[in-house]
Amino acid sequence: MKIKFFAYIRDYTGSKEIEYNRCATVQELLDELCIKYGIKFRKLIFTDDHQLSDEIIILVNGRSIVHLNFLNTPLKQDDEISIFPVVAGG
Amino acid sequence: MVTRSKVGKILMLSPEKCIGCRTCELICSFNKIKAFNPKSSRVSVISYDEAAISIPIMCMQCEEPSCMKVCPTSAIRKTEDGSVAIDEKKCIGCKLCVSACPLGNITFSATEKKIIKCDLCEGEPKCAEFCPSGAIEFKDAVPSTISRKKVIAEKFKDLFGEVSE
Amino acid sequence: MFGFVGTLIRVNLTEGTIKKEALNLNDARAYIGARGLGTKIMMDEVDPKVDPFSPDNKLIFMTGPLTGTFASSAGRYEVIAKAPLTGTIGASNSGGHFGPELKFAGYDGIIFEGKSKKPVYLWINDDHVELRNAGHLWGKSVFDTTDQLMEETSEDARIACIGPAGEKMVLFATVMNDKHRAAGRSGLGAVMGSKNLKAVAVRGTKSIQVADPDAFLEKCIDARRKLKEHPVTSAGLPTYGTEILVNILNQSGALPTRNWRDGGYFEDADETGGESLTDKFLVRNKGCFGCSIGCGRITRVPEGKFKGFGEGPEYEAGWSYGADCGVKDLAAICKANYICNELGLDPITMGSTIACAMEMSEKGILSEEEVGRKLRFGDADAIVELTKMTGLREGFGDKLAEGSYRMASGYGYPELSMSVKKQEMPAYDGRGVQGMALEYATSNRGGCHVRGYLTSPEILGVPEKLDPLVTTDKASWLKLFQDLTAVVDSAGLCLFTTFGIGLPEISSMLRTALGLDCTDEEILQKGERIWNLERLFNLEAGFTKADDTLPPRLLNEPLASGPAKGKVVELDVMLKEYYQVRGWDSEGVPEEGKLKELSIK
Repeated sequence: MKIKFFAYIRDYTGSKEIEYNRCATVQELLDELCIKYGIKFRKLIFTDDHQLSDEIIILVNGRSIVHLNFLNTPLKQDDEISIFPVVAGG
Repeated sequence: MVTRSKVGKILMLSPEKCIGCRTCELICSFNKIKAFNPKSSRVSVISYDEAAISIPIMCMQCEEPSCMKVCPTSAIRKTEDGSVAIDEKKCIGCKLCVSACPLGNITFSATEKKIIKCDLCEGEPKCAEFCPSGAIEFKDAVPSTISRKKVIAEKFKDLFGEVSE
Repeated sequence: MFGFVGTLIRVNLTEGTIKKEALNLNDARAYIGARGLGTKIMMDEVDPKVDPFSPDNKLIFMTGPLTGTFASSAGRYEVIAKAPLTGTIGASNSGGHFGPELKFAGYDGIIFEGKSKKPVYLWINDDHVELRNAGHLWGKSVFDTTDQLMEETSEDARIACIGPAGEKMVLFATVMNDKHRAAGRSGLGAVMGSKNLKAVAVRGTKSIQVADPDAFLEKCIDARRKLKEHPVTSAGLPTYGTEILVNILNQSGALPTRNWRDGGYFEDADETGGESLTDKFLVRNKGCFGCSIGCGRITRVPEGKFKGFGEGPEYEAGWSYGADCGVKDLAAICKANYICNELGLDPITMGSTIACAMEMSEKGILSEEEVGRKLRFGDADAIVELTKMTGLREGFGDKLAEGSYRMASGYGYPELSMSVKKQEMPAYDGRGVQGMALEYATSNRGGCHVRGYLTSPEILGVPEKLDPLVTTDKASWLKLFQDLTAVVDSAGLCLFTTFGIGLPEISSMLRTALGLDCTDEEILQKGERIWNLERLFNLEAGFTKADDTLPPRLLNEPLASGPAKGKVVELDVMLKEYYQVRGWDSEGVPEEGKLKELSIK
């Protein structure tokens, strides 16, 4: 699966895009990414009580996980996951 | 005691952070006259379009203030906390100080009918408190910040020199 | 006088006369200010059927009661007239420093009537107001006009003016102020041009008072603190500007690509987004008057054929010239945007009109001879060249200057224009963001996103998380957003404050500034009143339910890929519900009861 990072999340990952193989759910993927990118990244993604931060938007194939199964959203090998900080404009 | 802890703090300017929004002018005027009027503000933001830079400018509270030296009634004095203050009772409004300031940071307000300048808001400068970008900060005058302030003050002088000619 | 400063300037350009008159406080209270009050004056004084370029159309500059105060991001003023691009009521607002300066000079607004025989500009220096010859400025760019006027009036003066595009009545010409800020949409700059009014220069030294200074300050500090704490207004916008939206809309499958033909995904979007702009060309960010957000971009393209310096692009321009034209060269997008500012053009309509011409060329409807080049999607040189030609109405630019609807209709293909009420829709594909589609169909100034920005809840999850693909409840959400936006615009606030604050904070600032005794709901109802008055203007101008629609592409061509694959806009169901929640009949006409409730009739 393909993981894409945007805005200042790229400052934490050092890359715009990576390929990943395992992970059955979004929760699992995020946990692995937290191990890979360390404590600062974890603090960005999760609150102290392990909830997904309000300031993060996660899309699976373009759909916000809020409108899917949230952190339990299942992932397939050819999925594309995008991770954004909450941003706006117009 | 409160004043004591503020002794030695200075306004430190970082023009590279200034976004030119003039929030400092708004809050300064409000703090002084309870209304919004940049012309009554003791701080002015000068913007240079081509150079893409904006610079907030206010009294530098000079160590040897020209305004103080030239004042015929000794209405201007250097206070304990390091600011340069005007005694309104002694001031006769002659405006010699306005001419004397090499930086243009002391002016006569037509609205308020008096000489106005930055007085550091009695130790709690509003411009620094509300500057959204950190371009104006109120910090301890450790040697490094003082030397930095001097460098910036020199730059202002150069700028004004060009502008006034 | 609190919040307001109490005086309007009325300029009769035909007679060359200037009068000062007292602000009608009853109207100001009922319609808040700026957009609302300007619309009320239009309704009272102008026949909605008027030809936008007739001397009988009026051009109004109006500030809001919070403009120029410490309220968060309250640097705005509104330009109001019947709009030439759409034929609807036109109202566009702009930031910078011009609006506050007008109030510091002692005026809430200016009403321009008639048409001058020769080019003129208005010079306001506190109490002194005069019309001056602008013959020497005619033909000059926005930047040169601004520099020249500051030289001949005051170095403190703030300038609003038109560029060559406004003079030549390009139907989407802007009114520009402080060089780079635009009252951008619907062609109000062309109305200014039709009146031979080149500019307004203003310098003010007076004060704005508020009713309860201490309480007002407290409310402003509260609002500013919330903006400082919200990630959108404290981090996203200052760091990346509005262009940061490119990638999230693209990943959501709702970034309209190649004149909306190729769905909502542009493969090179990242090269045109806020991250790339920040990396490559950002010099620093810039705030409008009193703004703590500072989303403005000062940018420089340092070298190459698109070398240039200026402000922007914003998200909409980044999209219209980027994904919509299939162009990935960010330097070219910047350059085209600089030219828009210099000549006074709306980049949303400009880029979209070029995109429409690109599709027409690829379809063989437009020939190489006619356009002057072999026009294809992805042509970076074309977006720059055609923008310049349009602003000056040279060659094929003369056709582009009419906007995509009139241009495409001229060849018999109106369906290729991605517009509503003849105004080009901005950068959100309604097939993938259903609520936004309803906003396009119902906005009182045609294809427009900033009357009820449902992208915020539908894509960004602010302040609530709504599913972009469903239609349920979108009508009532849209009504709420449209009414609140009317309040925000009319107060003189920037719409971007609403990412961090809402009705309670805005109402508190209005109440303490004006000394009003009213509830939040009553303030929101003023917004609804404004919305209905705008609707009445449009109905009297001849618009009907049939105009509350979308280009056939959005209604009939399902998206081919992405999360909204297979979707078209389900407009019928949403529109019906929308009329109901608005208290309008099945033809979209406000019911008598609704107008009574709002004290409009």
